[in-house]
Amino acid sequence: MEQRTIVLVGLNHRTAPVEVRERLAFGNGRLEPALRELIAVPGILEGAIVSTCNRVEVIACGADAAAVGSALPAFLAREHGVADPALATHLYTHADREAVRHLFRVAASLDSMVVGESQVLGQLKEQYGVAASVGASGRVLHRCFHKSFSVAKRVRSETGIAEKAVSVGSAAVELARGIFDRLEDKTAMLIGAGAMGELTARQLLAHGVGSVMVVNRTYERAMDVARELGGMPVPFDRLARYLPLADLVIGTASGEDFLLAPPLVDEAMRERRRRPMFFIDLAVPRGLDPGINAIDDVYLFDIDDLEGVIADNKGARAREAVKAETIIDAEVDAFWRWFTSLDVVPTIVALRDKVEGIRRRELARALAAVGDADPRMGEVLERVTSAIVNKILHGPLTALRRHEAQAGEAFYVDAARRLFRLGADPDDEED
Amino acid sequence: MELGLLRLATLLYLGATFDALAGIAMQRELPRWLLPRLLLGGLAVHSAAIILRSVAAGHIAVTTFAEALSFLAVVLVAIFLAVQARRPLVALGAVVSPLAFGLVLAADAAYSGARPLPPVLHSAWLPVHVVLATLGDAVFALAFSASLLYLIQERRLKTHRGRGVLRHLPSLETLDRVNYACLVWGLVLLTLGIMSGIVWAHEAWGRSWSTDPKLVFSLLTWAVYVVLLQGRMTAGWRGRWAATLTIAGFAVIVLSLVSVNVLALGNHGKAF
Repeated sequence: MEQRTIVLVGLNHRTAPVEVRERLAFGNGRLEPALRELIAVPGILEGAIVSTCNRVEVIACGADAAAVGSALPAFLAREHGVADPALATHLYTHADREAVRHLFRVAASLDSMVVGESQVLGQLKEQYGVAASVGASGRVLHRCFHKSFSVAKRVRSETGIAEKAVSVGSAAVELARGIFDRLEDKTAMLIGAGAMGELTARQLLAHGVGSVMVVNRTYERAMDVARELGGMPVPFDRLARYLPLADLVIGTASGEDFLLAPPLVDEAMRERRRRPMFFIDLAVPRGLDPGINAIDDVYLFDIDDLEGVIADNKGARAREAVKAETIIDAEVDAFWRWFTSLDVVPTIVALRDKVEGIRRRELARALAAVGDADPRMGEVLERVTSAIVNKILHGPLTALRRHEAQAGEAFYVDAARRLFRLGADPDDEED
Repeated sequence: MELGLLRLATLLYLGATFDALAGIAMQRELPRWLLPRLLLGGLAVHSAAIILRSVAAGHIAVTTFAEALSFLAVVLVAIFLAVQARRPLVALGAVVSPLAFGLVLAADAAYSGARPLPPVLHSAWLPVHVVLATLGDAVFALAFSASLLYLIQERRLKTHRGRGVLRHLPSLETLDRVNYACLVWGLVLLTLGIMSGIVWAHEAWGRSWSTDPKLVFSLLTWAVYVVLLQGRMTAGWRGRWAATLTIAGFAVIVLSLVSVNVLALGNHGKAF
């Protein structure tokens, strides 16, 4: 059966608030049954679902764009028991090239909340894997998704979109890399076990920092967080004693006085034979004395410095995104040439069948009218009508075949289908 | 022919310099392979020029000021490329390339015909002494490059400025390690260079010690670097202070190179 359209219906962090997104999300267990439901919808031949915390998208192939386009929102509403009209305001629908482009942009993380983040690609691969395993996807979506993965890879390697740090943790890592060659043999000290500090410490560990110490006024809390991070808790009154062991210090607490004053750091530097120390003060008001930065081989950054790095990098990412869009344009074109070439052979067959059918019907009618007056009449009419049909069809068929060979534009296939009314509508066949 | 090759090498070093500077100006790393390849091309052409000249002179072409500068440049580029092959430090090329370019440019300016070597100095010690001494100077030039980058990187980190370029410079830790390694190797080579010179002088003139200004400068350089190495090993000197001292030591080398040769002082300046 022919597949002539790709439709994508979905919502994301820009069109729907989190309350809506979480209602429509397909959790791990729900994905498989939902995919089975999806391909059971009449008119849908292939389908896949992408569901992350920032988006829910359903992509499907079928013969009729309008039918698929209206079936998908209904499917979403039914699956989640949400009233159709309430949903409609949040949904966007992309058809054909735009659907492919949207999927490519999602994979390349151009549509993400944090442009250039890499998680979405992993989620896409995983969820497409589910669609493939339950047999919901076929030839078209297989190629479309795999192409989206390679486009994402191309965008990643040919643009600087993912190069720059855009979270506090990765900005801290970027700054730390200016000082330290390797992070694996470095120890971080987290002062103040709040959520922000824990997150930053986690990101540092994810980027390879060897170990972490957790200092907190309430020792129990330090123990909890240290257990979470796989680190070592340090009692607050032992801070000065353990400070020389830390290469990176993340301050997230502040109080009446600065938690760390220059003399203390100076002493620590002496003890560690002046190996460099890297301090980040994430607390507002600041918890580390800014005078620390004046000590040789000590580098102190505050939250504004990190925000500055992040803002610079976001700007750089936006510039790189423009380059990425050009890559995606080219890839969408290439995909679309392939997709429309799928229609060439069926179109040629349909065109021949249709014209041949007309010829036969008209010939039979003519022969019935003439009767058996002249036995040669049938032969002559047969030859004349065949010649007319073949000569008329010669031009269009050549153009279509050339399209197939060159994978040229979709224009001819579409034109032939419209001009000769080669639709799915059975009424067309009658004349 | 030989001068043409030298000038082609000059152009290639200039290209490498532009490549490195453009990378800094555009705040974006240019292809990592470009700079090493430009320098490699320069090295090949430059070596050919020196070999041609040495064949014509009948001894290793290091006896005029121009030859000495040119030889130092070629050794510096070779050492940089050798280090670079083991561990990519393209950023160091941003200092090494202009250094090499400046050296060959000066060599071109001071270009003169080959000077006949006094018979008393015809000896196997010539290549040994010169190669060791030049290797030492080149390694210290590399240490200077790393130290310069260290000071730039350190300033940026301290003042929280120049964030965009920051990530294209090697980390302070890496630069400090390069400084340390170059310090050790440079000292070994410089020591051997001085010793071979003393032995050679003894063989040629029968006295091993003289107040040759080059020797005085070399001993001064040696003293600076020994103090630095001692400080690094025992007092934990590192970072900015070590980088500053390294640069000071290199300043003595440059001073000796310029004053001894330009003012034609002592054996290194006039005897050959």
